[in-house]
Amino acid sequence: MNALLEQFLSESRDFLQGIGEKLMQLEDEPDNTEFMVELFRFVHTLKGNSGLFDFPEMTRVLHASEDLMDSVRNGRVNYSQTLADQLLEAMDFVSVLIDEIEGTGELSNQYTNTSAALAKALRALIIDTNLGSDSEAVAILLESSGALEESVEFNVSELELPEATAMQSYRDLKIGNSVIWLMYTPDPECFFKGEDPFFLVRQIPEVIWSSITTSNNAPLAEMDAYDCKLTFQVITSADISELHELFRYVPEEVRFEIITQANDLISPMGEHNNEPVYDDFIEQAQTLLAKNNTEGLRQLTSTMLELSSPALWCSSALRWLLLILELDETNGALHSALLESLHTFSLTIPIIESVVSDEKLLAENDTVHVETVTNAKIDEPTESNSVHLSKEEQARVNAIIHSQKEILNLPNTNNAWLVGRLKAVALTLKGCCQALHKNEALENLDEALNDALAQSSSEPLLVWLETYSKDFESLVEETVETAEITTPAQITNDEVIQETQKPIALKATESEANTEKLDASPEIKFNRRSEDASAAASKTLKVDQEKIDRLMNLIGEMVVAKNALPYLANRAETVFGVRELSREIKAQYAVINRVAEEMQDTIMQVRMMPVSFIFQRFPRMVRDISRKLGKEVHLVLEGETTEADKNIIEALADPLIHIVRNSLDHGLESPEVRAAAGKPAEGKLLIRASQESDRVLIEIIDDGKGIDPDVIKNKAYEKGLIDETTLERISDQDAVNLVFAAGFSTADVISDLSGRGVGMDVVRSAVEKVNGTVGIESQTGKGTRLFLSLPLSMAVTNVMIIESNKQIFGVPMDMVVETVRVPFNQIRNIKQKQTTVLRGRIVPLLSLNDLLAQNVEQVANEDKEFATLIVRVHGENVGILVDDFRETVDIILKPMVGILGGLSGYSGAALLGDGSVLMVLNPRELI
Amino acid sequence: MGIEYKKALAIFSENVSVEDAEGLLDWLVKNPKGKINLAACTHIHAANLQVLMVVKPTIAAESKDENLQKWLNWALAN
Amino acid sequence: MKNILVIDDAATVRMYHCNILIEAGYHTEEAINGIEALEKALTTHFDLYIVDINMPKMDGYGFLKEVRSQKDINQVPAIMVSTESASNDQVLAYSAGANLYLVKPVRPNDLLSYTRLLLGEGA
Repeated sequence: MNALLEQFLSESRDFLQGIGEKLMQLEDEPDNTEFMVELFRFVHTLKGNSGLFDFPEMTRVLHASEDLMDSVRNGRVNYSQTLADQLLEAMDFVSVLIDEIEGTGELSNQYTNTSAALAKALRALIIDTNLGSDSEAVAILLESSGALEESVEFNVSELELPEATAMQSYRDLKIGNSVIWLMYTPDPECFFKGEDPFFLVRQIPEVIWSSITTSNNAPLAEMDAYDCKLTFQVITSADISELHELFRYVPEEVRFEIITQANDLISPMGEHNNEPVYDDFIEQAQTLLAKNNTEGLRQLTSTMLELSSPALWCSSALRWLLLILELDETNGALHSALLESLHTFSLTIPIIESVVSDEKLLAENDTVHVETVTNAKIDEPTESNSVHLSKEEQARVNAIIHSQKEILNLPNTNNAWLVGRLKAVALTLKGCCQALHKNEALENLDEALNDALAQSSSEPLLVWLETYSKDFESLVEETVETAEITTPAQITNDEVIQETQKPIALKATESEANTEKLDASPEIKFNRRSEDASAAASKTLKVDQEKIDRLMNLIGEMVVAKNALPYLANRAETVFGVRELSREIKAQYAVINRVAEEMQDTIMQVRMMPVSFIFQRFPRMVRDISRKLGKEVHLVLEGETTEADKNIIEALADPLIHIVRNSLDHGLESPEVRAAAGKPAEGKLLIRASQESDRVLIEIIDDGKGIDPDVIKNKAYEKGLIDETTLERISDQDAVNLVFAAGFSTADVISDLSGRGVGMDVVRSAVEKVNGTVGIESQTGKGTRLFLSLPLSMAVTNVMIIESNKQIFGVPMDMVVETVRVPFNQIRNIKQKQTTVLRGRIVPLLSLNDLLAQNVEQVANEDKEFATLIVRVHGENVGILVDDFRETVDIILKPMVGILGGLSGYSGAALLGDGSVLMVLNPRELI
Repeated sequence: MGIEYKKALAIFSENVSVEDAEGLLDWLVKNPKGKINLAACTHIHAANLQVLMVVKPTIAAESKDENLQKWLNWALAN
Repeated sequence: MKNILVIDDAATVRMYHCNILIEAGYHTEEAINGIEALEKALTTHFDLYIVDINMPKMDGYGFLKEVRSQKDINQVPAIMVSTESASNDQVLAYSAGANLYLVKPVRPNDLLSYTRLLLGEGA
């Protein structure tokens, strides 16, 4: 994928994010014009960006969104919830497209229909609000929206197809080909967009018939060659998916109808002869028909046809009869009807069924996959930059000259920038003179400029332009025999605009050439660009996360390498006996240590992200869910700028979403219930982040119905999570905490309990994985407060090293409550489990060797005391017997990957200063 | 490339592009009896097609490109 | 080497224009809004501005009016590039001091050719 496309995708996501946010903010303050302008700008810029690429589906929806927002911005359309919904839906669609492009590098045409439908819905909003206010504007909008009146029923017989065409179509249908009628009405402005509708139409395969009309009735002298008023109708037996593919850039300008009823095509035509002389024939034919003698009927009809003048209506009917006898042999009723029509010159076809529009067919057949993307545009010939100007270049020269002329024709208001404007025009003209070697004109230009500046008037420059514009014009006429693209001097401003715009606008599109061109060596260009943009346009830098991770790993390794220096100093002194050197190494170590710590600190800072990264999705989510549940919720976000390590923030996302969902689902009541309880109908949900020393605290507070401890207790008891004694003794707070117990949440809990508890154990384990804790407080009827506490950073972990069975392990310090030495004789066996009493409380004891499934006794010290690590697991103190304690160290903990990743007893591994590997235990899982 | 204008004859080259349409229209307005030679032509941009459809000049020579001529017949039928 | 300032709030558009210009041997700098552009314009020499209209803080019109009012840089030609094809915008652009008004997306050939013409280097 080239750098430009990557840039586009990344920026698009930012814009989508911004658009979503602005819509949410507008929800609260629908009259805030600043938000409105901002929102428009986002949509506008996004659309502009997408125009650089060949993603018509995306651009179409964005264009419609932009137009809608423009109307809102200008007060022509009122901002409303429906409008916000529609825009959100459109942005979701764009988001899907961006994912698709990111995944595959391109956009398949499966989105064409959705895109057209969305654009239509958006444009409908522009019109709706206008209704009644300004009927003329409505008419214009209706027209410009390009929507074809689908409601007008299509009837193939009204097309008055030539007989041969109708017969060919009939034949195709009868032999199983599909026959499709399409009507293509290009946008009147399409010539300016680089489109060639005729070329497009000529790409239609299997064309049976076409009719091309133009509604251009203006007198020739006033006709505008660039106002497209063409309408194309085509009948083809091509595949509908092929046609969709072909017209994927302009789906709103095409109408397809699949002709399913072959009989609709049967329409004899021709002169009516005064005296039908067919009575005998009809009688004879009907007799043959009654006898099912098809062959006889065919011969009779052929004979009759030879006797008739081919231009007659009856002859046409006979030709049809022959065709039908061939392709629809058994349809006696039809044959008979045709014979009868010879009397009356009008055919009544038995059982006439209507045409099925292709949309219905497509709905059943949605997954039809069409590959290749053909582009219907003509490649413009590329002309080389020789001395002679190409037509395109001449057009550009003209555009520049005319622009300057128009600028000079602007009123000479004495504003501060008039001087600059004149000078800039002069410099622009100078550039053209130099570029085209117009030396004489050039010589007089300075004088004209000086006069103009002296008089504060554009007049002298205009005179100069009058004098020399012929040079430029003649230059054009010498080489272009065709049109007088340049305009005579005495024209109005409006005309200048039109004229100058044409050559520009006509070539403005055709983006694929661009992207291809840029594709050639994106890497090199990108690098050069980065250098060039030295004083970076924006002061932030987007860096691939992988690079940051790599940097962090390297720093981690350096910290480890650095830690080897004290060992080295020690060896220098004890092994080699060089104290001097040992001191010097220590001094150097101090310096390196300081720098390394600073580096570590800095990289931590780089990895810090504001919690708004997660918070920003809540407004939309809360809005969607509460609307679905019929609840009214006022969401308040606080402390969005609070920062934490990227990994922490990312780990936080899912649990938070879970909690917020629960809160909406089970915590907050419906407006009626709230009103009955004497609360305001609108519930309040507060999500607050704050920093407390080295931890981030996140609270989710609602004023809903809270959690009833009794309900929880009973449920827990029913589930066997607590025994009878606990059921009676448990405090309300402890009862509420049971929602975090594994196995508490099941489907029936959700429906019965309608409190918290849905997957709360999942939340807890997710939070604990990043060394966080989670707690809950609730008051029945008043509300619930959930709080998460998380470390700011998980990059550096302080671990205690312990020894067991001749190995060393690390244990995270934040889990260690204390270390004690428990004398052998104070260990009691209760129900075959070892325990001891510590400060009046019974503490269960576990042996690390047992936990690691090593069949070895722990080793006690000389005083028969066991080294015991008291760790807090799930709010309970547990003693782990080890062989010995060692020092505590700061390490960079790396989670284990691959097969080792499945070992939940370990939270990871780290490198020690001497190069050995330290396995870090995860006591929670271990126990 | 484009259209070559003779006294009363506009000779279309192989491919006549959008930029040619305005010139064609002007020429036909100035030369109401001007004829069109399409013999060498293989495609005309829709803008030119529209001019031909509105002005309906005499076609002095049809296109040798059968496909184009088929479409032109449909377009210029009325 | 000619120095060109590309002003647009969309990074994609800046990259697109810069890539085209750099490929052709120009030096480019970027600015994300009128204010930043003005700061750069006042401290660095540029031969051409390529400026978007709709930008936060200061839009393209505002930027051009400021530039045209500054004694030392007021003569530098400017191409205004926007997705709006409305003729009203074009008049506003000219009035503010643009020398040319192009509609996005501008094809590479067009951009380069106009740039060469404005800088007196050829077509």
